[in-house]
Amino acid sequence: MTTNLYSQADWAAVTPLFVVGITALVVLLADLFAKRHSNRYVSLLLGVLGLGAAAVICAQSYGQNYAAFGGGFVLGGFTVVFEEIILLAAGFSLVLYGAIGSEERMAGVVALMLWGTSGAMLMAGAANLMTIFLGLELLSLALYCLCGLAARATAREAALKYLILSSAASGFMLYGMALLFGASGSVALSALTAASVAASPFFWMGCGLFLVGLTFKLSLVPFHVWAPDVYEGAPLPVTAFMSVVTKAGALAVFARFAYAALPSGAAAHLLLPIWIVAGASMLVGNLGMLAQTDIKRLLAYSGIAQIGYIVAALAGGTSQGLRYAIYYLVAYTFMNLGAFAVVALCSTDKEEGSHVAALHGLGYRRPALAAAMTFFLLALAGFPPTAGFLGKVFILATNVGSGYAWLAALLIIGTAISLYAYFKVIRAMYDRAPSHRVVDVRPVAPLAWLSLAICLAGVLVMTFYPLTPSNVLPLVK
Amino acid sequence: MTQTLLPVALANYVGLSAVIFFIGVAGVMLRRNPLVMLMSIELMWNAANLLFLAFARAWMNDAGHIFAFLVITVAAAEAAIGLAIVVAVFRTARNVDVDEVALMKG
Repeated sequence: MTTNLYSQADWAAVTPLFVVGITALVVLLADLFAKRHSNRYVSLLLGVLGLGAAAVICAQSYGQNYAAFGGGFVLGGFTVVFEEIILLAAGFSLVLYGAIGSEERMAGVVALMLWGTSGAMLMAGAANLMTIFLGLELLSLALYCLCGLAARATAREAALKYLILSSAASGFMLYGMALLFGASGSVALSALTAASVAASPFFWMGCGLFLVGLTFKLSLVPFHVWAPDVYEGAPLPVTAFMSVVTKAGALAVFARFAYAALPSGAAAHLLLPIWIVAGASMLVGNLGMLAQTDIKRLLAYSGIAQIGYIVAALAGGTSQGLRYAIYYLVAYTFMNLGAFAVVALCSTDKEEGSHVAALHGLGYRRPALAAAMTFFLLALAGFPPTAGFLGKVFILATNVGSGYAWLAALLIIGTAISLYAYFKVIRAMYDRAPSHRVVDVRPVAPLAWLSLAICLAGVLVMTFYPLTPSNVLPLVK
Repeated sequence: MTQTLLPVALANYVGLSAVIFFIGVAGVMLRRNPLVMLMSIELMWNAANLLFLAFARAWMNDAGHIFAFLVITVAAAEAAIGLAIVVAVFRTARNVDVDEVALMKG
């Protein structure tokens, strides 16, 4: 006798994940048969097509609410929005790798990025502890390999550091999950909402350890030290991938946990440390930027501060806060990937122009590129005609409105500090007297230009049409 | 013939798994050899496994068993990748002490 455990609708909910995962296999298979000099484009084309197809399928399920696989993967506006952000960032990173990455590793990198993407997408919809863990590890395992794939010694060092620290953080998270399972007797997040759960001693310990693990993945302050080293060591497109996809995945898990999976009385006490940590990230991230001479490290510290802003938007637990967090996350995706695209356009596989000195005098050598970089840095700093400004205003408004004015104050102080760091880069680009001879690296990369243009358009469109999806509250069942 | 298992209280399992977990944490924090650190991480993960199994029995919920199998599978993949990375670092650096693998600072 066979029973049909899962319906068509269950499989339909995870089709985008399967499309991305299977595309990775197709890329590897195609690489076996592709001609020596065309495999770069074959892998890239297949990868982008797979992501595009997943994005289309995903978008069609917007508006549906369905708990697939007994609540393991919950489809809803929240899930779809996060999946789309992840797919977008993955597409950009693929294109950047296609522009400057090495030919022979192409298929492997594309496949790993696609598997990592499907892991992050699983995190976006995961509503039980098992699927959260599976998604997180699928993403992390792909990232360990991606970090170590460059031939430089720093890349391997980055991979080792990331592997050990991230696995240890996964260990904390897993132990937290085991305690949460002990507190509720179920792996479903929805079981944690029962008031009796909060009385269990395992619950508080479990939440603490679970949030420690998540804080690491978000690179919030006490657990942020890995980010600059790993960002610097990893190949540039991988850094770009990591800076958005990991954060989006972890943020989705955190938002679902904070909004939908806590006993009603417990949330205020339990999440206060997270808001404090978010505030501290704004300060530490922006202060850390001041000393950096490498753009990738600078963007790592910038990312620590930016994720602090995004998490702070959730502090009130309001649906408006979540909408603004998503708005800022999308804006961050465009601003941040735009900056990475500029660095990619100053880089080749052998020589990454990520040192600030490599941008010296860029304003005179390549004015368009320097102008674009200036725009993205101003957006990251939060200057008025950009989505970065608008996003920060939204977050300030929601923080003040929900009684977290101290977070708003920290956001303003952090922004003030960051201005100096961003302007240091801008000044270097428009400095006429070069301190030493700069080798002008100009890869022929129409694709990187294309992604640069899309990021520019994204930041501008979001400024003038600040739309946020209304159907975003995370569901657990 | 039915065999009755000795009843072991849940607290014993929780205590043992906590001890194993902290041995793992201490290993990651104090030891400097990546291989030992990876082994310590395995201890952390397996402490969680023990806890899943203990709670699965306490709650009579098989999900804990399935979770433990999932963790074992993922840990195997993690170990394979981890060892590959340690070998790659060793090939370039000729040593595997994490204090000396420090090209990047700040």
